[in-house]
Amino acid sequence: MAKEDFVPVTGDDWYQRRRQDAEGEFFRKVASQGPRKGEGGSTRQGIYVLSGDGELLSYKNAGQFAEVTRDELKRGLERFLKLPASRREPRAVEVGEPGKLDPTYSRTPPAGGLIVRVHARILDRTGDEFCKGACKTTGGDAAARDFLWLTKEEVRSLAPAKTDVGFTYEMPKPVAERMMRFHLIDNTRGEPPFWERQHIRRSKLALTVVRSTAEAIDLRLEGDVLLSTDADPAKSDRGYEARLRGELRYVPSKQTFDRFDVAAVGEHWGEGTFTRGSRPGRSLLGVAFGPVAGDRAADRVPPQGAREVRRYFGRE
Amino acid sequence: MSARRFALIALLITALAAHAEPKLTEVEYSSTLKAVRPAPGEDKFDQVPWLTSLWEARKQAAKEGKPILLWEMDGHPLGCG
Repeated sequence: MAKEDFVPVTGDDWYQRRRQDAEGEFFRKVASQGPRKGEGGSTRQGIYVLSGDGELLSYKNAGQFAEVTRDELKRGLERFLKLPASRREPRAVEVGEPGKLDPTYSRTPPAGGLIVRVHARILDRTGDEFCKGACKTTGGDAAARDFLWLTKEEVRSLAPAKTDVGFTYEMPKPVAERMMRFHLIDNTRGEPPFWERQHIRRSKLALTVVRSTAEAIDLRLEGDVLLSTDADPAKSDRGYEARLRGELRYVPSKQTFDRFDVAAVGEHWGEGTFTRGSRPGRSLLGVAFGPVAGDRAADRVPPQGAREVRRYFGRE
Repeated sequence: MSARRFALIALLITALAAHAEPKLTEVEYSSTLKAVRPAPGEDKFDQVPWLTSLWEARKQAAKEGKPILLWEMDGHPLGCG
């Protein structure tokens, strides 16, 4: 239904309710027709069905309940079909250009950089293998999604200086830090707290050339990290101790990577303001980087951490 | 090198090795990727051709004569499962 009967679009309300441009004004005009008036800058999150000229047709904030959401979409579609033809037929409504976008609240991937998919999920162990974990919080056992953004310069810094098999080098600090602070996190139940620089208690991440041809250089990543809110992990209220392993492939002719498969797994403990309901004590959390994202519009959703764009790119 | 110094160095190396984290095995690595990433068909969200610009959605909706489905969340809109 979403694909056939609607034009589906997704956004982070943090940007949309704040941006001072035509898109933000349009969104707020629609949202104000529903229950989320945005008093005091409050959230306007939800699932909206609206007409292209800005009438709210239905609203619900129950994305975790598929049947409820589906019924609401049907209701919105029915209301759309009852609109006058002059407001719903193809090309009946004219939409001009949006004009200048608010630079404070719009994000685009770095030109020439890399976008990598990131998923996180709670895990359990069975024998030698890791498997999906079980969680009492609704949706807490599902895979959380995000993207890692790397700049063109960071991508090139990841490439090996020598192509000899066995050549080993440290993962560049800016890349390692971003992966740890903004992506080795538990976002499985809601918006996660990130790590501060001082929370990085141990970081050993090394890349090794395992195969080298003129066309591609295969790299293995190995290492381990300890992130905790206190220098003594035993006293910290939140932490993550993980081992990492990955397989990356650099293509010299394109100066980029076409493979970025990295797994991190280990014990996580604690929770954030919006991620309540974690399993008690220390429990397994896995994070998977990769594959490299393609050209779909949805692949350009900014990383959760990119709200504070200067922090995300290590500039403060 | 004296025997005592040799023993101290051997003890230090042993202690460091004991502290080193064991590497992820191939089985642990592959099973982690498999368990964390959505299985085929699991990620229904990913099957929807989402746009990320509400204004572009308006233009497309006007062109095609369809309503807009806006999935608007606090945080990464397709974030937590």
